[in-house]
Amino acid sequence: MKMFGRLSVVLATLLVIALVVSGCSSQGGSTTVKELAGAGATFPYPLYSRMFDTYDGVTGVRVNYNSIGSGGGIKALTDKTVDFGASDAFLNDQEATAMGATVLHIPTCVGAVVLSYNLDGNPALRLDGAVTADIFLGKVTKWNDPRVAALNPGLSLPDLAITVVHRSDGSGTTSIFTSYLAAVSPSWKSTIGAGKSVSWPTGVGGKGNDGVAGMISQTKGSIGYVELVYAEQSKMPFASLKNASGTFVTSSLASSAAAAAVSLPDDLRIVIVNSPGADAYPISAFTWILVYKEQNYAGRTLERAQALKELLTWMLTDGQAINEGLSYAKLPAPAVTKALALVNFMTYGGTAIP
Amino acid sequence: MAAQPSRSDRRELIRERAFTAAGLTAAVALVTTIVLFFVQLFITSRASRAAFGLPFLWRSEWNPVTEQFGALPMVVGTLITGFGALLISTPFALGIAIFLADYAGKKVAEPVKYLIGLLGGLPSVIFGLWGLFVLVPLVSKFEVWFGKLVGSEALVASGTTGVGLLAAILLLAIMILPFSASLILESLLVVPTELKEGALALGATKWDTIQNVELPYVRKSTVGALVLSLGRALGETMAVTMVIGNGMRLPHSLFDPANTLASAIANQFLEATSPVYIASLIQLALILFVIAIIINIVARVILRQGVQQ
Repeated sequence: MKMFGRLSVVLATLLVIALVVSGCSSQGGSTTVKELAGAGATFPYPLYSRMFDTYDGVTGVRVNYNSIGSGGGIKALTDKTVDFGASDAFLNDQEATAMGATVLHIPTCVGAVVLSYNLDGNPALRLDGAVTADIFLGKVTKWNDPRVAALNPGLSLPDLAITVVHRSDGSGTTSIFTSYLAAVSPSWKSTIGAGKSVSWPTGVGGKGNDGVAGMISQTKGSIGYVELVYAEQSKMPFASLKNASGTFVTSSLASSAAAAAVSLPDDLRIVIVNSPGADAYPISAFTWILVYKEQNYAGRTLERAQALKELLTWMLTDGQAINEGLSYAKLPAPAVTKALALVNFMTYGGTAIP
Repeated sequence: MAAQPSRSDRRELIRERAFTAAGLTAAVALVTTIVLFFVQLFITSRASRAAFGLPFLWRSEWNPVTEQFGALPMVVGTLITGFGALLISTPFALGIAIFLADYAGKKVAEPVKYLIGLLGGLPSVIFGLWGLFVLVPLVSKFEVWFGKLVGSEALVASGTTGVGLLAAILLLAIMILPFSASLILESLLVVPTELKEGALALGATKWDTIQNVELPYVRKSTVGALVLSLGRALGETMAVTMVIGNGMRLPHSLFDPANTLASAIANQFLEATSPVYIASLIQLALILFVIAIIINIVARVILRQGVQQ
């Protein structure tokens, strides 16, 4: 009995503390918004975590971002449990309808997917769309294939089997890469198509960018696709690609930005693979933050909507300075203008957010 | 004075009832959770059954782009890796258990038992990393050697990366070894000493005793232990994902990349957005759930018979 008594005192104390703490935080939340929540793509995670860290220092608003994958981010936004979602692929019309309300796509940076490989002596490889597609279709199976050799006149490539490495998990990276293959190869488009996860005709799958990078670095004669950041971090060579205007271009911040210098639709839902620019790297893509146009949902306050608007505006302006240090290209000026217009398009209760 | 014991009796009774109620609630909650698990999986996978019906089980196409799904490659991958691992690990498990029960002295047996327990408790991602960095290159060397030996390009057509069914089987065999070895050891240790001493007294050698007394005595519980280990192998996710190559196609040889039900779900669920795709992944979970239940029931039945014997 005595023991129970002591236990109940302890429990009661804990309960009181819990109530006081939760009371404080909810009180704080009602006056000024100190926290925002987002979830989604893993691809821009290094960028977002640095951006949000900086933003916390500048404004005192903390952004909790869970990089659970684009699909998870879209689900969280659909369930209205976050302030924003993040995705490497824009919602198609069917998915947009399923959201039940208008969703705005705010691009934050331009990313690039590169073809990394493992060959003795790390030769500077050059590839074009058709040959790349046929490698991933399992039609070009040897490194000394005449079609590979024709693109690389100076190199003596070995009589070695090509091992294709792809992502095993669904990913925006795969979506970008397969969109490119579908854009440059009719047979890829008709047999495989594009998506976050596709039915690979050949090769082995690694989980995540690091899984693919690890598999490539372990396997002689392998080729696979990873984000530029990962190839640079793991010091892997990556191929120059022949772009739509016939120039061989290496992936870089400048060539990715050049890919985004196309005429953009107002809703900014655009695939910029195989971009026509002379200096454009062909496997480039935007990554987006997704928000509801109407911000009054799930009991959110006007202050919360304002805080979100301020965050997005900052990411498109001052925040852009962070991009290049982390190997993400800045948004070109026309894209920033249109993105800011989308942010200003957000409403609360039907009227513009002040 | 007379009221005192009755009050304490009543208190005792209340405590008894409260405890019974709490225990019952916990038990019911557990059973309900499992049932709800099944119901939830069944309901959320409905779109997949509506689209593909029963043929989902033997369709071999898995194409998220065209939204055509079938479970056969993953069911095959799961069963091959599970049974393959069991086949390889069983002799070792028996050997370890017999050695520790009958041959090793206490000074050897105790630390070894401790190490087995430790190995069994290692997180599977550690096995996965070891598999990727140590086992896979070895398998790759073996593939190159084997390819030259048989002179067949077809067998090693998928390259000689080392990842694939074989690597997954070997890794799973190592992972379930501590589990099956310690279960078998436990049943060997309860073989009545009189039986063993009786056999020895009759002039049987140590090996005769093991072969004719101990092993028959623990036969059923050994089978039960092995089936339980199989259940673990079938459900292993992280380590398998890292070494199996994640090919969503029917494998043609042991060197081919393949996938298992658990690994496919873990890989693809987060980024799956279309309803049929999600439902099909949940349907895979349902299949795994049913396989796991069947195997556990089989194991329990065998174990119970072993005990009764």
